[in-house]
Amino acid sequence: MPADVPPVTGEEFRVLCEFLYRRTGMVFTEAKRYYVQRRVTERLQATGFTSYAHYFARLRADSGDEIEQLINAFTVNETYFYREEHQLRCLTSDLLRERIRTKPRGRPIRIWSVPCSTGEEPYSIAIWLLENWPEVDAYDIDIVGSDIDTQVLDAARAGVFGKRALMHLPPRLVNQYLEPLDGEQWRIVEDLRQSVSFSTVNLVEMAETRAHGRFDVIFCRNVLIYFDDASRRLAAENLYENLEPGGFICLGHAESMSRISPLFDVCRYADAIVYQRPMEGARG
Amino acid sequence: MPLIRRGAPEAPANVKDDRDSFALLTGGTDGERWGAARAAATLPGGVEALGAALRSETDARVRTAILTSLTRVATPASVDAVLPCLRADDADTRTGALDALRAMPRAVLPRLPDLLSDADTDVRILSCEIARCLAPAEATSLLCDLLDRETDANVCAAAIDVLAEIGQAGAEPALRRCAKRFPQQPFIGFAVKVALQRVSVQADDAG
Repeated sequence: MPADVPPVTGEEFRVLCEFLYRRTGMVFTEAKRYYVQRRVTERLQATGFTSYAHYFARLRADSGDEIEQLINAFTVNETYFYREEHQLRCLTSDLLRERIRTKPRGRPIRIWSVPCSTGEEPYSIAIWLLENWPEVDAYDIDIVGSDIDTQVLDAARAGVFGKRALMHLPPRLVNQYLEPLDGEQWRIVEDLRQSVSFSTVNLVEMAETRAHGRFDVIFCRNVLIYFDDASRRLAAENLYENLEPGGFICLGHAESMSRISPLFDVCRYADAIVYQRPMEGARG
Repeated sequence: MPLIRRGAPEAPANVKDDRDSFALLTGGTDGERWGAARAAATLPGGVEALGAALRSETDARVRTAILTSLTRVATPASVDAVLPCLRADDADTRTGALDALRAMPRAVLPRLPDLLSDADTDVRILSCEIARCLAPAEATSLLCDLLDRETDANVCAAAIDVLAEIGQAGAEPALRRCAKRFPQQPFIGFAVKVALQRVSVQADDAG
């Protein structure tokens, strides 16, 4: 703990936890006090505050982008291959099995990664399916990565990644699905690059989301928490329309669709909690 | 490699024109009413049509879409369209209305003084929750005014809870006065004590 920032008091800790809960749904107990304090202290140092009281005042005033920065500090907003692997396990062990049970034969499985940033997530999904889903040869699988930022999409299409992005990918898979460019960078092999398509989308623009059609599974991680209430509602309804009836949406670990929209059913699987668009006629 | 690259399929058909949309909003199937509710936000006369539909809609999913469209518009008229739902007997309808109103803080602000003085206790309690979405200075001013005149302890408790989260240092006198007015209600004294601790963080900051 830096010497110039005092330890967080019990009351300050409660205030901060309440703020984080209301904003993100993340719950931190006393056992997590050190974890919470470390991240808040980092933000104090970054912003030049020397007391929690001053810092909370700034958060409460909702000025600047400090709320976003604080949430970033708690969500580890860094993307890399096989991030939140438990959701990928859930995809192959539960979600796809459920989807193909009700899906008419011959229809492709469609998976959407949004926002996809520089492509780590959609390529991870592709590699995971090739490695872990026995039915992968029996279905046409359409993987789409979308983002509002056209620069990151260019990078995603290029498919070039450094060591940090690949740190959780087993070396065997790196050798199989990426080709070395130099000692520091690798490129996704051509076949795999061609199997993922990329597009721009703004999640609150209905016309843009509708143009992407319906998906069986959507990965939409760590973006809705940054929207205000009105935008979050709108984005949730757009995503609802983008799901096939019975389709699933996976959010980030700090997010809960139940706090955003009543449209989805909560599904608890062994590896993840996900949200499902009810089948037609399943609800009143 | 079995993965394929395909173009996106055709987007769902859009409603043809405003008349189609408004007719479907109350007379279509569940799916049509859902689509019409989402489309109406951008159409002239949409708020009035959405307000009328909200009064008769029985499908929870379509009601959610209507409320979201009204929050997209976020005008005093859309607030007025939602407000009757705050008085609904059905808890889901009240909660849906509350969430919608909190999603349009600028539009709801001019209505809040009246809502916080409403004859219905439940409406006043819910209105305290709406104040949670306001800027701290606005919420503090409105809720302190309420604390000084409110006779129902439960309404005061709702206001104190909001002040404990977003209240500013200026709330301290009103909180203390409120605690004195309800000596027979220990939970008010406790809630005020917690709120004062939180608000004092702001006071320290100002000092």
